[in-house]
Amino acid sequence: MDKHQFLQSFAEQFDETDPETISLETKFKEMEEWSSMVALMIIAMVDENYNKKITGSDLRETGTIEELYERVSAK
Amino acid sequence: MTGNPFFSLQDKHFLVTGASSGIGLCICRSIVASGGKITGTARRGNLLSEMVRELGENNASFIEADLALDEGIDKIAGEVEDIDGLVYAAGISKMSPLKFIKRQNLEEVMNINYFSMVLLLAQLVRQKKIKKNNHSSIVLISSVAQQVGTKSSLLYTGSKGAMSAAGRVIANELSSQKIRVNTIEPGMVQTAMASEMEDVLSSETVEKDKQKYPLGYGTPEDVANAAVFLLSDASRWMTGQSLTLDGGRYKLLD
Repeated sequence: MDKHQFLQSFAEQFDETDPETISLETKFKEMEEWSSMVALMIIAMVDENYNKKITGSDLRETGTIEELYERVSAK
Repeated sequence: MTGNPFFSLQDKHFLVTGASSGIGLCICRSIVASGGKITGTARRGNLLSEMVRELGENNASFIEADLALDEGIDKIAGEVEDIDGLVYAAGISKMSPLKFIKRQNLEEVMNINYFSMVLLLAQLVRQKKIKKNNHSSIVLISSVAQQVGTKSSLLYTGSKGAMSAAGRVIANELSSQKIRVNTIEPGMVQTAMASEMEDVLSSETVEKDKQKYPLGYGTPEDVANAAVFLLSDASRWMTGQSLTLDGGRYKLLD
């Protein structure tokens, strides 16, 4: 798994937010555009790109995109 | 049995698909409690034998088969003895935003929720397994989801919409044999399938959703009671209808 590829795929799920403003340190749940719909997109993206299942609690229990990346890598 | 005989399922035999768990299993219990007999089908034979043990061999039997495959459908239609109707409670749910939908996940959900329902009914009708002119009744477990447009529910909602629409057509085609067809469209019911969905969503989202149900989320018994009514002669003048059971979720607005 590539961390920067993960970041790019993560950022692609947002329609309004400038990808340039999203980094590995971004606390994604504090983003203005974050919603339950985006959460479902992230879950679907991880499934499609990495063939790994994450759940709502994985998103709940991680803060930054990097933390989520680590969590997905460990699965 | 005392009480209103119209509501009794005495001397009636029903096929129930998805009988090993959730709403299907609960419907098996309710049919037997109302005096009827059931043949349950599902993939998991061990759970089906447990169900038969619980309900008694005089009241329940099972056919282990995979409805997703033509062989499974042929097996059920071939082995089941004449029935007074059936409940199609087999189904799966999968959440996915539109842009992640692929032919594979679309086919997976449509296959079990819709194609297999149609193909099983086709075989049962072709083989004349559903008694005619005898108040027979078919009940399809659809979903209130098909009346609205919940985000990320397309795979499931589309399949249930197809099911509800097909129910009306089949009701019309079978009306000359006095075989009735109705659908139940439940809102969120507490089952293992619902817990899986809750796991995907955040608990806050689920809590917020729950609050939109004036009577709270439903239980499998709530759906089973409606199924017993639709299977019984008490509903003998009702066909081609959808019965919404959602604790007031979509009609009672603040």
